[in-house]
Amino acid sequence: MKISDLISLSAKNLARRKGRTALTVIGVVVGTCAVIVMISLGIAQNKNTDEMLQNFGDLTNINVYGGGAVAIVGGGGGSSSKNQPAKLDDAALAGFKTIANVVAVTPQYRAWNTQGTINAGKTNRYTASYGVVWGLYPEAMEPMGFTLSQGNWLSPTEKYGKDKLPVLVCANTAYQFADTRKSANSSKRQRYQGQTDAAGNPVEPFFDINSTPLSLTITDGAPENPKTRTWQLVVVGVVTEDRAKGWWTSDGIVMRVSDMRMVDRAYQDLIKQKSTTTPAYDEVTVKVDDVKNVEATDAVLKEMGYSTYSMTQTREEMQKSVAQSQLILGGLAAISLLVAALNIANTMTMAIYERTREIGVMKVLGCELGHIRGMFLIESGFIGFIGGVVGSIISLGISAILNNISTILALFGGGNVDISSMMGSMNSYGTTGSAISIVPPWLLLLALAFATLIGLLSGIAPAGRAVKISALEAIRHD
Amino acid sequence: MPAIIHTEKLRKVYAVGKERVVALNDVEINVEKGEFCCIVGQSGSGKSTLLNQLAGLEKPTRGKVFIGKHEISAMSENELAEFRQAHLGFIFQSYNLLPSMTAAENVAMPLMFKGVPKKQRLALAKKELKNMGLGARMDHLPTEMSGGQQQRVGIARAFVGNPKVIFADEPTGNLDSTTSKQVLFRVLDLSKKEGTTFVMVTHEPSLAACADRIITILDGRVQSNVLQPDEVKEKNRTELFASLEGNMEIGGAAAKPAQAAEPAKTAQNGTAAQAGETGEKP
Repeated sequence: MKISDLISLSAKNLARRKGRTALTVIGVVVGTCAVIVMISLGIAQNKNTDEMLQNFGDLTNINVYGGGAVAIVGGGGGSSSKNQPAKLDDAALAGFKTIANVVAVTPQYRAWNTQGTINAGKTNRYTASYGVVWGLYPEAMEPMGFTLSQGNWLSPTEKYGKDKLPVLVCANTAYQFADTRKSANSSKRQRYQGQTDAAGNPVEPFFDINSTPLSLTITDGAPENPKTRTWQLVVVGVVTEDRAKGWWTSDGIVMRVSDMRMVDRAYQDLIKQKSTTTPAYDEVTVKVDDVKNVEATDAVLKEMGYSTYSMTQTREEMQKSVAQSQLILGGLAAISLLVAALNIANTMTMAIYERTREIGVMKVLGCELGHIRGMFLIESGFIGFIGGVVGSIISLGISAILNNISTILALFGGGNVDISSMMGSMNSYGTTGSAISIVPPWLLLLALAFATLIGLLSGIAPAGRAVKISALEAIRHD
Repeated sequence: MPAIIHTEKLRKVYAVGKERVVALNDVEINVEKGEFCCIVGQSGSGKSTLLNQLAGLEKPTRGKVFIGKHEISAMSENELAEFRQAHLGFIFQSYNLLPSMTAAENVAMPLMFKGVPKKQRLALAKKELKNMGLGARMDHLPTEMSGGQQQRVGIARAFVGNPKVIFADEPTGNLDSTTSKQVLFRVLDLSKKEGTTFVMVTHEPSLAACADRIITILDGRVQSNVLQPDEVKEKNRTELFASLEGNMEIGGAAAKPAQAAEPAKTAQNGTAAQAGETGEKP
């Protein structure tokens, strides 16, 4: 018997009992819809969570803190660290780079102990604190995902001339500078981003940072005849603002860590205090290639004795709570599919009772057992498949309605209902307007396959019964 | 001639409640190739049970059944299914046409089980239906046909696969006497032409009287196994079919101008259609 004959025979049999087939299919439709919609809610919640976290910071970054240096303790100080806290120095950072899946490592170094100022203008009229300078590994910036709006990256090794240091600036760096000709209390001493003049026009910074000479001056801080040293700063590029990568991308200045170390040493010479300890960083950023590898890398770092923090930890917590509510909703949906399965089994059993004689006749006429089984399995699988197709289509509709529910309710004169906040805690973090329900294609395919599988599974027992029907049924006289 | 159907100490015992009923007791019969064999007996004598055993619808309690060289009593269900596809045909008392299928599709069904492509099997089915004088009814559903017409579809279905043996369990049981005679005439006509062995269970002595061999069953035993002399069965057949007076439009309206010519025409068609295949018969 050809498979095409088997399928057309099954289809014909289903068509014979249109009403009953339709009712059974509706059961599957309801179940499929329930499952798809429930899962789509969870997918949307997780996506919203991710989007929200992305606003807070990069999900693939791990912030590493020196052992015991920071209050946040994430299981740091393991057996390897003993009493000595793990130190975040250049050697340790070189070690981080060798960890699997790590693409880049950089400290975010601030020279808190070095007194200095950044000056701009020919007469050094404008000045800013040395604290606006961040030391990074120049080679790590691009892999970390920083971008330049103009110019070039800092070269890790290139010399820019005697007493010249290369820097990257940001779009609003110039707002950091104060006008030294204005008195300390004058409101005109500082300008800030977003400030507007009387006419409402935005106020530009005092100078154009790209065309104005910049310099770094350190001082021993002596009240009379202070000793100073000065470097010219050469602006080689402008960093694009991306607060998820760090708020300093708005108005900071980036220098090579090695240059900052050199300045630190010069400062120590100036104040005649030689530091004996090898300098360590407070905070280091480790970039991992993929979100899914963050956890493993994080564990390795903790094992080494460091405290760590990554957005992934927060994300996991959030996803866990989403998963929990999903489990409950999904369980309810699964029950409706289970009912649908019972329904199919019932329909098939009835069909087999009705067709007992027919099955007997087919056996007498030489239909093989496998084909009888196949015929009924195809019928029940068909019910599941059709239910899956219709259910997928309807759930796409339901999803569209959910995503536009506020618009729809508004149309019908209802109040402004914020469904996303009703759907669960996750969505209330200011992500209103985002999707409530997301139905990716894989979910539709999965639901379709699952519905068909349910149909097939519920057909197994009835089909087995059909196979056992005796050929003698055919000659029983009624 | 070698026996095409052969049984050895065939025994069938049913358990009815706690009692054991012996339906067949050491039955040994031989039916030869091309024979028209009637199994007769009273109700409950075991004649239907015997047919079921011969056709492999039921397993015997003990003993063996051979069709040709094949011991069908030892076959698995799937082997039996394949064997039936290839060698056996069935005609049922209650026709047993599938209600959702047209006459042609019903006839083509055994070929479908064999895996014959749709076009080919429908063509064969239509040829067979034309032989049965049902050329105009090929696309009708069983419910749209009379009993006699349905049984003719059943006969066409039995013959479509060119089987070696056709079994029939009271094929005329639900038909009136005229239609019964017409149906029997058709079956005999075809099976003689094609050399098919035809085994029939019947209640009616007048039909049984036309058989080549009459096996009488009583209380599960073979009471008599008579090979009728040619002149006796010829006489009985002539008597039986004489009343038909050429009315071969089974179950149809009685009076039609072309009635008399029809059997001859059908016979011609049948001969032409089957001539090439008769030689291949075992």
